Amino acid sequence: MKRLRQAINNSDISRFRFHFQLFAFGLLIYGGYLAIDFGSNYIPAFACPFVETRGGTCYLYPLQHQLNMPLSQLFSGRGIGLLTGFITFLLMFVLFNKAWCGFACPLGTVQDWITKLRNRFGIRYSTYSETVFSRQKNIKYVLLALLLLLSLGMSNSLFGMQKLSGDFSTSYCMICPGRTVLPLFTGDMSQLVIDFSSKTKTVLTGLGMAVTGLFFTGAFVKKRFFCLLCPMSALQYIFSKAGLLRLKKDGMKCTRCGNCYRVCDVGIREIADDLESTMIVQDDCMMCLKCVSACPEEGCLKATFLGLPVYEATEQGFFKRMGGRS
Amino acid sequence: MHTERFERVKKSTNLHFTMEADEALRKIEDFPSNPGAMGYFYDLFRSVYANGGSLTHKGTIIGTMCVQVPEELILAAGAVPFRLCNGAHAFDQAGAEFMPAKACSLARATVGMLHINRSVHKERLGMVVVPATCDQKRKAGELLREMGYNVYILEVPSSKNSEEARHYWQNSVKRFTAELQHLTGRKITKKSLGTAINLTNEARRQFRRLYNFRKISPPVVYGKDALLVSNAYFFDDKERWLQALTDLNNELELKALKGESVGNRHAPRILFTGSPPVFPHLKIPLLLEQSGAIVAADEVCSSTRMLYDAVAYDESALYDMIPSVADRYLKPCTCPFLVLNDDRRRRLKDMAGQFAIDGIVYQIFSGCHLYEMEQRTIAKTFADSGIPLLFLETDYSQEDTGQLSTRIEAFLESIKARKRRK
Amino acid sequence: MKYFCGIDIGSTATKIVLTDEEGKIAAHTTAPTGSHFHKNAVEALEALLCRQQIKRQDIGYIVSTGYGRKLFKEADETISEITANAAGARNSGEGAGTFRTIINIGGQDSKIILLDDEGHVKHFTMNDKCAAGTGRFLEMAARNLEIEVDELGDYHMKSTGVPATINSTCTVFAESEIISLMAGGHSREAIVAGIHYSIARRISRLAGKIGIEDKVFFDGGPALNRGLVASFEDELMREIVVPETPQITTAFGAAVIAQEAFAAEGEKINV
Ligand code: SF4
Ligand code: SF4
Ligand code: SF4
Ligand code: SF4
Repeated sequence: MKRLRQAINNSDISRFRFHFQLFAFGLLIYGGYLAIDFGSNYIPAFACPFVETRGGTCYLYPLQHQLNMPLSQLFSGRGIGLLTGFITFLLMFVLFNKAWCGFACPLGTVQDWITKLRNRFGIRYSTYSETVFSRQKNIKYVLLALLLLLSLGMSNSLFGMQKLSGDFSTSYCMICPGRTVLPLFTGDMSQLVIDFSSKTKTVLTGLGMAVTGLFFTGAFVKKRFFCLLCPMSALQYIFSKAGLLRLKKDGMKCTRCGNCYRVCDVGIREIADDLESTMIVQDDCMMCLKCVSACPEEGCLKATFLGLPVYEATEQGFFKRMGGRS
Repeated sequence: MHTERFERVKKSTNLHFTMEADEALRKIEDFPSNPGAMGYFYDLFRSVYANGGSLTHKGTIIGTMCVQVPEELILAAGAVPFRLCNGAHAFDQAGAEFMPAKACSLARATVGMLHINRSVHKERLGMVVVPATCDQKRKAGELLREMGYNVYILEVPSSKNSEEARHYWQNSVKRFTAELQHLTGRKITKKSLGTAINLTNEARRQFRRLYNFRKISPPVVYGKDALLVSNAYFFDDKERWLQALTDLNNELELKALKGESVGNRHAPRILFTGSPPVFPHLKIPLLLEQSGAIVAADEVCSSTRMLYDAVAYDESALYDMIPSVADRYLKPCTCPFLVLNDDRRRRLKDMAGQFAIDGIVYQIFSGCHLYEMEQRTIAKTFADSGIPLLFLETDYSQEDTGQLSTRIEAFLESIKARKRRK
Repeated sequence: MKYFCGIDIGSTATKIVLTDEEGKIAAHTTAPTGSHFHKNAVEALEALLCRQQIKRQDIGYIVSTGYGRKLFKEADETISEITANAAGARNSGEGAGTFRTIINIGGQDSKIILLDDEGHVKHFTMNDKCAAGTGRFLEMAARNLEIEVDELGDYHMKSTGVPATINSTCTVFAESEIISLMAGGHSREAIVAGIHYSIARRISRLAGKIGIEDKVFFDGGPALNRGLVASFEDELMREIVVPETPQITTAFGAAVIAQEAFAAEGEKINV
């Protein structure tokens, strides 16, 4: 047992993650070929329904549909549908917490691949200042709020406004890069168009194209650029504290050496500088556990599942990973 | 006339220095059951100091005046880092010609040494890097420039808590990198920097092994030996040093397995901090261990602070590796030149727990305001947790040895009495 | 009957105390340390034993302390004067338990020791290298005033009016300052009082750094000087306890420790 622990702690999490992501990508994007429908409609990650061969569906899609109902029906059968859907999503999410982003989300994986590509070319990443960063962080909450309100707004008149037209159906999906990018992996380019059928659709799909462009260029210059804007991430974070998989920190052991912050793809500074919190998952965190692997202090950072450590920072592991590189 | 006088001063200073070094080494070796692998280090110091401090390295030598200088970059540029911080009273006296009477011995001795031995050093040192940390060092940098050294002032922020400070420092390191390449005419590449990082990280890994052996109680190694090992890192060939330390660690590992220990089983365990002990000025650690204590841990820039932290980088490319190297020197730094230095207090507290410390000995060199001013908060921190702290102001002279030994013994006696009553 | 011996080899005087099995002082002596201090110490001890008709074998344990402690090879153990002083004060009987601070003025240094609830050393500080505020300073002053050191107290008590101001703490400068004060028409009494206040002030400041608590126990030879005690009372604004023979407190403490060590060793043998 101790041996196994040590072997795990000495391992290179990034390599494991790379393979796992590949596997999850295959499952979620091509799973349909094998008639796998994994977790059906409630995946807490961008397993986009616009991919025909998918093996699971991003929860935001059914959520937007289900919300398109008059509020008066909230306590009828449709309301129960919404509730069970939400509970399923929550159960799945709680299991792996934000590791869905780091290990399973196809869109996240694509961004990591783009990063690899950039690195291969030896092109440097860009950084931005803290103020920009902290401002950008809030966009995802705005997107989440819009997503919920626009869906509700089709069957209800909100804030004394008229009901919105049906063209706002799954409005977020219209601008989500999941819809445009992921089908490309099955050779399906049909989403890469602007839909001129109505004014609303033109604007939304037009925006979608712009976001797609932004997605690619963003990912190329900045690791996980889109994730910082992702409304799924916002939705997840609200429930993150309930996660069974946790990222924990022992501030007493931390030397604030900053290694963890150094390697974090999304630039979470708290991981190094916050000495008080024991549960350290921040809203942009994707639980990739790179920080754990870069921390040289015994047991300072660790991932636990149901309170049991699964991956822990150790001095030995650190030097194994950081020592013999070239 | 003038040069003749200088030559005489030089001769006598170097003579006094050799005497001092010899005496310190005698004291260091005068302990029962020294590890066999320490022989390398004793011999190293003896051979180096017999010829007045060696600069026998091949290639360009880059003198550094502080632990803040990123040595990975120097190595990657094909040069040899050589830490100049000096611990000799003879050179301290020579430096008194240039620096105030109330200046820190370390800064003054370094200037003194570079003055006395300028004929060799000016020629052999491609550059002297002075990080703008404490006032003494900063101004010493100017003095050295006047003496004709090629001085490079490495700008350092005075706080590390903001991202702006971090970027300022990263940029300063970038400029330093450019300057290094210019000097050596060698480009730093992904490969050369990777190799340098591997080497230094391996040194730190071995250092941490030694550090961890010092946690064992009853002790397996004296603090004076550990300090000598890290002092050797100042100037020794890195690969050779690494091999010697690996040998020492292996020997200690065996010792620990066999349950052998050094000194008294109940020796008070001391955490040493404050101004750095630099050979031959190992006066206080030696007095402590001669009086039956064990310097189980140290938080000083001539040892732990120099060798504890390792570089971690994400992408194998210069644009990520250089800032990573920079971060290694700023983020974990606990030197009191930084403002809002809570990290030092936390670090000491953590070490006191990990090393089962009975008492703290806090050395300051007269004239070092930074360490002196932090002394109060640190004493208070430990007063709350019941660990006594002995504050000792000293300099490189041996005049105060009698007084110091009385203080040290009284301190140790009070620790022992306390332990007995527990 | 067993006796225990504490021997304090200071810079000017060597003090020897013998205690009996009850821990009471059986005999004590003071001799100049001189330059052959090992020889002088041995002779003083022998003279004391002879006078008291105590055999060498009857001494159970010897503890040496003071600057010369390490050179007194006959000792079974050496201890620093700080620990010894605390032990002596704790067991002196004079107001024991009512004070938590000890001020000791020796020939060449002065110390302030803080005790914890049980009378053990909690914290201490010493003056730095120079002789200001030590017995040597007083000796110099007396010599310049052409009086004896043990007369200083009486002169102080006789002084009326304002004490003269002594600014220098350095012995050398203070010397010339005293001479010019005399030339300037100040009375001896006023100068003596001024010297005492300057010492008391200096040491109080040192004590302030580590924080004084409760009553203050004052020992060392200069504690015999009533004028100095009075100045300390004024400067510290606290009650001061002076033992009967303040010059031997440290030696007595060494004897106390000798007895404890003897007892501890006895236990070991019996086990
Ligand atoms: S934050 Fe990134 S990884 Fe997570 S669901 Fe959104 S796109 Fe996927
Ligand atoms: S904080 Fe750690 S787990 Fe979270 S994204 Fe950053 S490196 Fe990954
Ligand atoms: S890597 Fe570990 S020790 Fe360093 S700052 Fe992060 S949590 Fe703290
Ligand atoms: S001991 Fe103090 S003054 Fe001296 S070099 Fe270090 S920080 Fe500067």
